[in-house]
Amino acid sequence: MRHTTARLMGGVAALVLAAPAWAEGEITIALNEELELVEPCMASQSNIGRVILQNISETLTELDPTNGQLKPRLAESWEEVDADTWRFKLRSGVTFSDGSAFDAADVKHSMERTVSTTISCEIGAKFFGGMKIDVAVVDDTTVEITSDPAQPILPLLMSTLTIVPSETPVEFVQTPVGTGPYVLAEWNAGQNIILTAREGYWGEAPQVTKATYVFRSDDAVRAAMVGTGEADIVPLINQNDATNPATDFSYPNSETTYLRVDNMTAPLNDIRVRKALNLAIDRDAFLGTLIPADATKAVQMVVPTTLGSNPDLQPWPFDPDQAKALVEEARAAGVPVDTEIEMVCRIGNFPNVTEVCEALQQMFADVGLNVKLTMVEVAEWVQLYSKPFAEDRGPRMVMAMHDNNRGDPVFSMYFKYACEGLQSGLCDADLDKMIADATAATGDARGPAWQPVFKKVHEDLVADVFLFHMVGFSRVAEKLDFVPTIATNSELQLAQIKFK
Amino acid sequence: MTDTSPLPVTPATAEKGRLRRFAGMLLADKPALVAAIFLLVVLLCAVFGPMLLDAVATKQNLRARNAPPFDPSLGWMAFLGADALGRPLLPRIIVAAQNTMMIAAGAVLASMAIGSCLGLIAGYSRGRWAQIIPRLADVIMSFPSLLLAVIVLYMLEPSAANIILVLAITRIPVYLRTARAEVLEIRERMFVQAARVMGASDARIVFRHILPVVLPTLLTIATLDFAFVMLAESSLSFLGIGIQAPEVTWGLMVSQGRPYLTSAWWLSFWPGLAIILTTLSLNLLSNWMRVALDPQQSWRLEIGGKKNG
Amino acid sequence: MQKFLTKRAIASGISLMILVVLVFFLSRLTGDPTDLYLPIDASLEARENFREIHGLNDPLIVQFGRYLGDLVTLDFGDSIRKSRPALEVVLEAFKWTLALALITIALVSFAAIVLGSLAAFNVGGVFDRIATFFSLIGASAPDFWIAIVAIVLFSVNLGWLPTSGTGTVWHWVLPIAVLFIRPFGLILQVVRGSMITALSSAYVKTARAKGVKPRPVIFVHGLRNGMLPVVTVIGDQAAGMLNGAVVVESIFGFPGVGKLMIDSILQRDFTVVLAAIMVTAFAIFLMNILIDIAYAVLDPRIRY
Repeated sequence: MRHTTARLMGGVAALVLAAPAWAEGEITIALNEELELVEPCMASQSNIGRVILQNISETLTELDPTNGQLKPRLAESWEEVDADTWRFKLRSGVTFSDGSAFDAADVKHSMERTVSTTISCEIGAKFFGGMKIDVAVVDDTTVEITSDPAQPILPLLMSTLTIVPSETPVEFVQTPVGTGPYVLAEWNAGQNIILTAREGYWGEAPQVTKATYVFRSDDAVRAAMVGTGEADIVPLINQNDATNPATDFSYPNSETTYLRVDNMTAPLNDIRVRKALNLAIDRDAFLGTLIPADATKAVQMVVPTTLGSNPDLQPWPFDPDQAKALVEEARAAGVPVDTEIEMVCRIGNFPNVTEVCEALQQMFADVGLNVKLTMVEVAEWVQLYSKPFAEDRGPRMVMAMHDNNRGDPVFSMYFKYACEGLQSGLCDADLDKMIADATAATGDARGPAWQPVFKKVHEDLVADVFLFHMVGFSRVAEKLDFVPTIATNSELQLAQIKFK
Repeated sequence: MTDTSPLPVTPATAEKGRLRRFAGMLLADKPALVAAIFLLVVLLCAVFGPMLLDAVATKQNLRARNAPPFDPSLGWMAFLGADALGRPLLPRIIVAAQNTMMIAAGAVLASMAIGSCLGLIAGYSRGRWAQIIPRLADVIMSFPSLLLAVIVLYMLEPSAANIILVLAITRIPVYLRTARAEVLEIRERMFVQAARVMGASDARIVFRHILPVVLPTLLTIATLDFAFVMLAESSLSFLGIGIQAPEVTWGLMVSQGRPYLTSAWWLSFWPGLAIILTTLSLNLLSNWMRVALDPQQSWRLEIGGKKNG
Repeated sequence: MQKFLTKRAIASGISLMILVVLVFFLSRLTGDPTDLYLPIDASLEARENFREIHGLNDPLIVQFGRYLGDLVTLDFGDSIRKSRPALEVVLEAFKWTLALALITIALVSFAAIVLGSLAAFNVGGVFDRIATFFSLIGASAPDFWIAIVAIVLFSVNLGWLPTSGTGTVWHWVLPIAVLFIRPFGLILQVVRGSMITALSSAYVKTARAKGVKPRPVIFVHGLRNGMLPVVTVIGDQAAGMLNGAVVVESIFGFPGVGKLMIDSILQRDFTVVLAAIMVTAFAIFLMNILIDIAYAVLDPRIRY
């Protein structure tokens, strides 16, 4: 009797105290695209990462976006055993959401699964390609990871590897199991994904108890959903919609836009022409108009917070007269400067890409260069951006946006500038050697080893036309206490979200 | 006996009489008259626009980005406002008329001609063509236009001719099936039976007797298809197939204005209005033609357009 | 009837097969999907591996043979993007498209036939002018315009309806309203045209002269004979909706087959493209058979 009365009173109290719109601790997040997969080894893709990374699946180490330092997550500490081996001490008392205990065997299996050739994991392809990695189980809480060739930044690489239980089959899973504070409660294809907080998480209990992810590809609708109360966080909104300072935040998103110049075909093989291209652009005119005002002018492939970025490099000034003079000088020396140069831009690459490319084409035309703009869709663009290049190609520049959010230049420089690099438009033996040396540099020597590489690319070779380090915009409902950072481009840790 | 034969009418006066009759009927229907004038203006823009205004329409000016309309300080060229690169909208719309009309007219005329012919054959024939041609329409109806566009893009290069080809093919089924449906019904009618008995050939029956009955409906569909084609072309361009920046069409201008719909509505509004007005005019004109060319209906216009009894 | 149905079923089956062959071979002309699925910095080994896993290395004929073999068991293969059976992915999306299409085309047909007939009754009158004007604007205005303006007005400013999503009945109001407008404009004009011709035919004039009460009898007589092109155009518009309404789906977040198709084509997810085309083709072919039967019902003179 008493129990029933108590339950009744509890029920009434709950009804009375219940919040009108959403229950306490529940939020809705509007993503711009649906997740194709909820597989942890694909978490390097932005939207998959935003749902899974550190929410469902955790990594051994975690990169702190504010200072570029590595923090412990599932690994408590790590040390270098020798040139190619690192030892990681794992956290004890951690359990997966299916109840099994976390131990070294899980780390071993996660690694093998991610680089396996039976499935095509993006994390394996992106971060562990071209190396042999071996995980040795020393005991339940210790692993030794050996890499060939030696990877001085192995702990940083471990911040990308999502850990799954050792029983996980080597095929893409529909229900991911992880050590994180949340479990996947529901996945309604095309409509929403629901994460709920779970018991038994090793860390602090988060304030957000339930998160519903919905998918809206239209920018205007997504941005409007916060105002109507249908969403609380929109990690990506268009800069045109970012008009409310109380809810809208801009954050540097570790993307760099640049024109990849083919240094091997005339007239682009002449350094005067490449200098002219850079001098012809009024970068300041773009800021605040077609490109957000908070974006910064780029001088190298990585953002300034990356280890090894060179602080002494200056952006090219806007000097169309000097550019014209250089073009004339090249013409006098017999360089075919009137050849039509193709500028390839990818539709939807970033907001206003079409207008930016049209404006660039006009600026180049103003200094006497014959540049033709071609807008293409993704599939064609990939063919033109990556090798193999066509044998009989004309001079070409490809607009691209490169994302390096891992804090180390090694993820960019080989691919973009080495002779064998897949997106490299040049071949310089000295540069190759410098890149190789910097890649192998360890500890404190690493930063200073990369700086001259950037200087050579920007000032000596003038290999490409760097444009901007981009920013993204997010909208966060006023009731939440959350500020997006550079990490928001690839992850959205629910545990970091608090209510005001 | 009085000679009741009519006075011989020389061809010249007969011609002048016909033209004057049509002109009179056009004047009787005021909306159709306005529509005809508007279409003439569009035609002039399409023919002469790029020649006269190309330089003005492509002049970028980042400082005048998204300039609002009705602001006299920017000169009368920017009366309708400016786009995302500061290019004035009015000259841009005039210049874009050429590409737009070329593609829309090309696609609609091609699909109407081919679709109607196939439909007439399919409807009139009683043999295997009556089975095969409608199945062709089925196949085309199920083939997504985007896939066709991507395939054409990969096999041939991107050009205006190819986008006309793609759009024409995807619009064939509606003309084919409508023509076929009408023919199925008409071929059973008395006058067709009579013509056949008198020994008229199949081709003569189809083109001289059946086609004029079918034509008005096809024209109605065609005029509304114009707008559909203009907008379909822009969504294909937006995805990388067909007319690309820096070339421009009305549909592409509408698509480019989409991110600014709530902040700079004029970017999408004026080209969209151009599309609407052109469609409206074409349709009013085709409605007028339907009445003017139908001997059973033209009395409505000949009495000066007053309301029918 | 029996003979007609069997003949049509066989003919449609053959068309379906031709469609399979066409789409299979032509879509593979559009390039290798590998580069679209792997990160830009994936190694050549990773790309080779991807091709192996998805059977893209085999000669086209072999791939086609394997595909046909699987087709017998209704196995359309797995989506490269989603790693789930392609048919499952398509059917999930198709149910949304089917619901939207059926509801919209029913509303459109009813409204357009009624209003178009009323307009034709009094050609050149006020109702006719107004109906023509608004229907033409609706038929030629860009659909994303209408959608976004509707959302801004009814959802953001007035707060009567949700912006997007699929939860409740209210979520369906705006998408259906937006989807309704273009076909309504077109079909109204076709109905109007057909009715004008039908109403001026000899037997209708006779009936009116004889003093038959205008509305019901004339309406039904005129309607019946003017319906053939109307039914055809309704079918054409319905086919368009069954192929998916990309703009409505993207803006309102309805996970239908239109957006699925566009994304799959751009991402070269061949299995899903083929499965989606098969499913929509089946629905369209079925609809066309029904329309042909409708012709015979509406006009008994028609013989196939």
